[in-house]
Amino acid sequence: MAHMKKTTRHIHGFRLNRNGAIVCIPGSPLALPQRGRVHEWRVMSPEDKETIIAHLERLLDGADDAHDFLRQRAALLVDEMLENALYAAPRDAGGGQIFRKGAKRGVLPGEQITLRCAYDGERLSLEVSDSWGSLTPETVRRFIALNLASEGADTDRAGRGLFFMWRLMDDFYVSVKPGEETSIGGALPLYPHSD
Amino acid sequence: MEQSFKFDIRKGIGSDTIQFYGNIDAQADQHFDDLIRQVSTNRVIMDFSTTGRINSMGIALLLRSIKSIKTEKNAEISIQGLNQINTMLFKMTGIFMLASEARAN
Repeated sequence: MAHMKKTTRHIHGFRLNRNGAIVCIPGSPLALPQRGRVHEWRVMSPEDKETIIAHLERLLDGADDAHDFLRQRAALLVDEMLENALYAAPRDAGGGQIFRKGAKRGVLPGEQITLRCAYDGERLSLEVSDSWGSLTPETVRRFIALNLASEGADTDRAGRGLFFMWRLMDDFYVSVKPGEETSIGGALPLYPHSD
Repeated sequence: MEQSFKFDIRKGIGSDTIQFYGNIDAQADQHFDDLIRQVSTNRVIMDFSTTGRINSMGIALLLRSIKSIKTEKNAEISIQGLNQINTMLFKMTGIFMLASEARAN
Protein backbone atom coordinates (compact mmCIF):
# COMPACT_ATOMS: atom_id res chain seq x y z
CA MET A 1 0.00 0.00 0.00
CA ALA A 2 1.26 3.49 -0.85
CA HIS A 3 2.82 5.46 2.00
CA MET A 4 2.64 2.44 4.27
CA LYS A 5 5.65 1.66 6.39
CA LYS A 6 5.76 -2.08 7.04
CA THR A 7 6.96 -3.01 10.45
CA THR A 8 6.90 -6.23 12.42
CA ARG A 9 3.61 -8.14 12.59
CA HIS A 10 3.29 -7.62 16.31
CA ILE A 11 -0.32 -7.00 17.33
CA HIS A 12 -1.35 -4.45 19.94
CA GLY A 13 -4.80 -5.31 21.20
CA PHE A 14 -6.15 -3.83 24.35
CA ARG A 15 -9.16 -2.62 26.26
CA LEU A 16 -9.33 0.40 28.47
CA ASN A 17 -11.26 0.52 31.70
CA ARG A 18 -13.33 3.49 32.93
CA ASN A 19 -10.20 5.20 34.23
CA GLY A 20 -8.39 4.88 30.90
CA ALA A 21 -6.10 2.11 32.12
CA ILE A 22 -5.29 -0.99 30.10
CA VAL A 23 -6.98 -3.95 31.71
CA CYS A 24 -6.31 -6.83 29.34
CA ILE A 25 -4.67 -7.73 26.05
CA PRO A 26 -7.13 -9.83 24.08
CA GLY A 27 -6.25 -11.84 21.01
CA SER A 28 -6.88 -10.40 17.60
CA PRO A 29 -8.82 -10.18 15.38
CA LEU A 30 -11.56 -9.30 17.81
CA ALA A 31 -14.73 -10.94 16.63
CA LEU A 32 -18.16 -9.42 16.85
CA PRO A 33 -20.63 -11.42 18.94
CA GLN A 34 -22.34 -14.36 17.30
CA ARG A 35 -25.82 -13.31 18.47
CA GLY A 36 -27.62 -11.41 15.76
CA ARG A 37 -26.65 -11.02 12.13
CA VAL A 38 -23.41 -9.22 11.38
CA HIS A 39 -23.81 -6.40 8.87
CA GLU A 40 -20.79 -5.17 6.95
CA TRP A 41 -20.19 -2.12 4.77
CA ARG A 42 -17.11 -1.21 2.76
CA VAL A 43 -16.49 2.52 2.80
CA MET A 44 -15.27 4.01 -0.48
CA SER A 45 -15.49 7.75 0.30
CA PRO A 46 -16.70 10.16 3.01
CA GLU A 47 -19.98 10.46 1.10
CA ASP A 48 -20.79 6.86 2.09
CA LYS A 49 -21.02 7.87 5.73
CA GLU A 50 -24.58 9.22 5.67
CA THR A 51 -25.88 6.25 3.67
CA ILE A 52 -24.34 3.79 6.13
CA ILE A 53 -25.66 5.69 9.15
CA ALA A 54 -29.16 5.75 7.62
CA HIS A 55 -29.01 1.95 7.12
CA LEU A 56 -27.80 1.48 10.67
CA GLU A 57 -30.57 3.66 12.09
CA ARG A 58 -33.14 1.52 10.28
CA LEU A 59 -31.65 -1.58 11.94
CA LEU A 60 -32.31 0.00 15.33
CA ASP A 61 -35.99 0.39 14.71
CA GLY A 62 -38.13 1.31 17.71
CA ALA A 63 -40.35 4.23 18.61
CA ASP A 64 -39.47 4.66 22.29
CA ASP A 65 -36.93 6.98 23.90
CA ALA A 66 -34.42 4.16 24.49
CA HIS A 67 -34.26 3.30 20.79
CA ASP A 68 -34.07 6.97 19.87
CA PHE A 69 -31.11 7.46 22.21
CA LEU A 70 -29.44 4.31 20.87
CA ARG A 71 -29.78 5.65 17.31
CA GLN A 72 -28.29 8.99 18.40
CA ARG A 73 -25.30 7.30 20.04
CA ALA A 74 -24.78 4.87 17.17
CA ALA A 75 -24.86 7.64 14.54
CA LEU A 76 -22.36 9.77 16.46
CA LEU A 77 -19.94 6.90 17.06
CA VAL A 78 -20.06 5.60 13.50
CA ASP A 79 -19.41 9.17 12.37
CA GLU A 80 -16.37 9.42 14.69
CA MET A 81 -15.06 5.95 13.81
CA LEU A 82 -15.31 6.56 10.07
CA GLU A 83 -13.79 10.05 10.33
CA ASN A 84 -10.92 8.44 12.20
CA ALA A 85 -10.43 5.80 9.51
CA LEU A 86 -10.83 8.27 6.62
CA TYR A 87 -8.72 11.17 7.90
CA ALA A 88 -6.64 10.30 10.97
CA ALA A 89 -5.43 6.86 9.93
CA PRO A 90 -3.84 7.61 6.52
CA ARG A 91 -0.24 8.64 7.14
CA ASP A 92 2.69 9.34 4.83
CA ALA A 93 6.11 7.78 5.23
CA GLY A 94 7.04 10.48 7.73
CA GLY A 95 3.95 9.87 9.83
CA GLY A 96 2.17 13.03 8.62
CA GLN A 97 -1.57 13.07 8.11
CA ILE A 98 -2.36 12.75 4.38
CA PHE A 99 -5.91 14.09 4.26
CA ARG A 100 -7.31 17.21 5.88
CA LYS A 101 -10.52 16.67 7.90
CA GLY A 102 -13.55 17.23 5.71
CA ALA A 103 -11.60 17.03 2.45
CA LYS A 104 -13.11 15.11 -0.45
CA ARG A 105 -11.29 11.85 -0.99
CA GLY A 106 -11.72 8.34 -2.33
CA VAL A 107 -10.06 5.21 -1.04
CA LEU A 108 -6.50 4.75 -2.24
CA PRO A 109 -5.39 1.64 -4.12
CA GLY A 110 -5.16 -1.15 -1.58
CA GLU A 111 -6.88 0.84 1.15
CA GLN A 112 -9.80 -0.81 2.91
CA ILE A 113 -12.20 0.72 5.42
CA THR A 114 -14.91 -1.56 6.77
CA LEU A 115 -17.71 -1.06 9.26
CA ARG A 116 -19.20 -4.13 10.91
CA CYS A 117 -22.09 -4.20 13.32
CA ALA A 118 -24.42 -6.66 15.00
CA TYR A 119 -27.58 -5.94 16.96
CA ASP A 120 -29.37 -8.51 19.09
CA GLY A 121 -32.19 -6.26 20.28
CA GLU A 122 -30.40 -5.23 23.47
CA ARG A 123 -26.84 -4.46 22.45
CA LEU A 124 -25.28 -2.99 19.32
CA SER A 125 -21.70 -4.04 18.59
CA LEU A 126 -19.69 -1.78 16.30
CA GLU A 127 -16.27 -2.15 14.74
CA VAL A 128 -14.44 -0.08 12.13
CA SER A 129 -11.25 -1.39 10.53
CA ASP A 130 -8.79 0.43 8.31
CA SER A 131 -5.81 -0.97 6.45
CA TRP A 132 -3.24 1.51 7.79
CA GLY A 133 -2.36 0.22 11.24
CA SER A 134 -1.07 3.66 12.13
CA LEU A 135 -2.66 4.14 15.53
CA THR A 136 -0.50 3.31 18.51
CA PRO A 137 -1.65 2.22 21.98
CA GLU A 138 0.30 5.16 23.39
CA THR A 139 -1.68 7.60 21.26
CA VAL A 140 -5.01 6.15 22.39
CA ARG A 141 -4.02 6.27 26.03
CA ARG A 142 -2.61 9.79 25.68
CA PHE A 143 -5.78 11.12 24.03
CA ILE A 144 -8.04 9.57 26.64
CA ALA A 145 -5.84 10.80 29.48
CA LEU A 146 -5.76 14.29 27.94
CA ASN A 147 -9.55 14.46 27.73
CA LEU A 148 -10.01 12.91 31.17
CA ALA A 149 -7.54 15.19 32.88
CA SER A 150 -9.32 18.46 32.31
CA GLU A 151 -12.95 19.46 32.33
CA GLY A 152 -12.07 22.76 30.66
CA ALA A 153 -13.48 23.76 27.31
CA ASP A 154 -10.30 23.62 25.20
CA THR A 155 -11.20 24.39 21.61
CA ASP A 156 -8.81 22.17 19.71
CA ARG A 157 -8.13 19.39 22.15
CA ALA A 158 -6.74 16.35 20.32
CA GLY A 159 -8.41 12.96 20.45
CA ARG A 160 -11.91 14.11 21.33
CA GLY A 161 -13.48 11.56 18.94
CA LEU A 162 -11.61 8.67 20.52
CA PHE A 163 -12.62 9.98 23.92
CA PHE A 164 -16.30 9.92 22.89
CA MET A 165 -15.92 6.30 21.74
CA TRP A 166 -14.31 5.28 25.01
CA ARG A 167 -16.85 7.14 27.14
CA LEU A 168 -19.97 5.97 25.33
CA MET A 169 -19.15 2.36 24.43
CA ASP A 170 -18.97 -0.68 26.64
CA ASP A 171 -15.97 -2.96 26.12
CA PHE A 172 -14.16 -0.38 24.00
CA TYR A 173 -11.16 -1.95 22.31
CA VAL A 174 -8.40 -1.13 19.89
CA SER A 175 -6.50 -3.74 17.91
CA VAL A 176 -3.52 -2.69 15.82
CA LYS A 177 -1.33 -4.65 13.44
CA PRO A 178 1.26 -1.93 12.82
CA GLY A 179 1.38 -0.95 9.17
CA GLU A 180 -1.45 -3.34 8.28
CA GLU A 181 -4.69 -2.84 10.13
CA THR A 182 -6.38 -0.94 12.95
CA SER A 183 -9.71 -2.09 14.35
CA ILE A 184 -11.64 -0.03 16.88
CA GLY A 185 -14.83 -1.28 18.41
CA GLY A 186 -17.14 -1.70 21.34
CA ALA A 187 -20.80 -2.01 22.20
CA LEU A 188 -23.76 0.22 22.93
CA PRO A 189 -26.46 -1.16 25.21
CA LEU A 190 -30.07 -0.24 24.47
CA TYR A 191 -30.44 0.70 28.12
CA PRO A 192 -27.19 2.37 29.17
CA HIS A 193 -26.08 2.03 32.74
CA SER A 194 -25.41 5.28 34.51
CA ASP A 195 -21.91 5.91 35.84
CA MET B 1 -31.06 13.63 10.17
CA GLU B 2 -29.32 13.95 6.81
CA GLN B 3 -29.22 17.62 5.90
CA SER B 4 -26.53 20.08 4.88
CA PHE B 5 -25.52 22.47 7.59
CA LYS B 6 -26.99 25.94 7.60
CA PHE B 7 -28.00 28.50 10.18
CA ASP B 8 -30.24 31.50 10.41
CA ILE B 9 -30.37 34.33 12.91
CA ARG B 10 -33.65 35.75 14.16
CA LYS B 11 -33.31 39.24 15.53
CA GLY B 12 -35.47 39.68 18.59
CA ILE B 13 -35.88 42.43 21.15
CA GLY B 14 -32.55 42.46 22.94
CA SER B 15 -31.43 39.07 21.72
CA ASP B 16 -30.36 37.14 18.63
CA THR B 17 -31.50 33.54 18.23
CA ILE B 18 -29.21 31.39 16.11
CA GLN B 19 -31.03 28.37 14.68
CA PHE B 20 -28.77 25.51 13.55
CA TYR B 21 -29.92 23.05 10.87
CA GLY B 22 -28.34 19.74 9.85
CA ASN B 23 -25.16 18.13 11.09
CA ILE B 24 -22.38 20.18 12.64
CA ASP B 25 -19.06 18.71 11.48
CA ALA B 26 -16.02 19.65 9.42
CA GLN B 27 -18.26 20.67 6.50
CA ALA B 28 -19.80 23.41 8.66
CA ASP B 29 -16.46 25.13 9.27
CA GLN B 30 -16.80 27.61 6.39
CA HIS B 31 -20.06 29.02 7.83
CA PHE B 32 -18.91 29.88 11.32
CA ASP B 33 -16.96 33.09 10.58
CA ASP B 34 -20.08 34.46 8.94
CA LEU B 35 -22.18 33.39 11.93
CA ILE B 36 -19.97 35.28 14.37
CA ARG B 37 -20.05 38.39 12.15
CA GLN B 38 -23.86 38.42 12.07
CA VAL B 39 -24.32 38.48 15.85
CA SER B 40 -25.29 42.02 16.80
CA THR B 41 -26.53 41.90 20.39
CA ASN B 42 -25.00 40.91 23.70
CA ARG B 43 -27.61 38.26 24.39
CA VAL B 44 -27.47 35.21 22.13
CA ILE B 45 -29.65 32.10 22.17
CA MET B 46 -28.35 29.06 20.30
CA ASP B 47 -31.20 26.78 19.27
CA PHE B 48 -30.29 23.18 18.39
CA SER B 49 -33.82 21.81 18.01
CA THR B 50 -33.31 21.38 14.25
CA THR B 51 -29.73 20.09 14.52
CA GLY B 52 -28.69 16.54 13.70
CA ARG B 53 -25.37 15.10 14.78
CA ILE B 54 -22.63 17.19 16.32
CA ASN B 55 -19.35 15.30 16.06
CA SER B 56 -16.00 16.11 17.68
CA MET B 57 -15.11 18.55 14.90
CA GLY B 58 -18.50 20.23 15.37
CA ILE B 59 -17.87 20.51 19.10
CA ALA B 60 -14.55 22.23 18.36
CA LEU B 61 -16.30 24.68 16.00
CA LEU B 62 -18.96 25.47 18.59
CA LEU B 63 -16.40 25.98 21.34
CA ARG B 64 -14.45 28.34 19.10
CA SER B 65 -17.50 30.33 18.04
CA ILE B 66 -18.93 30.59 21.56
CA LYS B 67 -15.61 31.89 22.84
CA SER B 68 -15.39 34.37 19.96
CA ILE B 69 -18.93 35.65 20.47
CA LYS B 70 -18.37 36.06 24.20
CA THR B 71 -15.08 37.87 23.66
CA GLU B 72 -15.76 39.96 20.55
CA LYS B 73 -19.41 40.79 21.23
CA ASN B 74 -19.24 40.70 25.02
CA ALA B 75 -22.32 38.50 24.83
CA GLU B 76 -24.05 36.08 27.16
CA ILE B 77 -25.00 32.84 25.44
CA SER B 78 -27.73 30.38 26.29
CA ILE B 79 -28.51 27.07 24.66
CA GLN B 80 -31.82 25.37 23.95
CA GLY B 81 -33.33 22.50 21.99
CA LEU B 82 -30.64 19.89 22.61
CA ASN B 83 -31.41 16.20 22.19
CA GLN B 84 -30.11 13.62 24.66
CA ILE B 85 -26.77 12.80 23.02
CA ASN B 86 -25.90 16.43 22.30
CA THR B 87 -26.70 17.36 25.90
CA MET B 88 -24.27 14.64 26.99
CA LEU B 89 -21.56 15.88 24.62
CA PHE B 90 -21.95 19.49 25.78
CA LYS B 91 -21.49 18.35 29.38
CA MET B 92 -18.48 16.19 28.51
CA THR B 93 -16.69 18.91 26.57
CA GLY B 94 -17.27 21.92 28.80
CA ILE B 95 -19.64 23.86 26.55
CA PHE B 96 -21.96 24.37 29.51
CA MET B 97 -19.09 26.11 31.28
CA LEU B 98 -19.28 28.81 28.61
CA ALA B 99 -23.00 28.92 27.91
CA SER B 100 -26.00 28.27 30.11
CA GLU B 101 -28.85 25.94 29.30
CA ALA B 102 -32.02 27.93 28.65
CA ARG B 103 -34.92 26.96 30.88
CA ALA B 104 -37.99 25.65 29.09
CA ASN B 105 -40.96 27.99 29.34
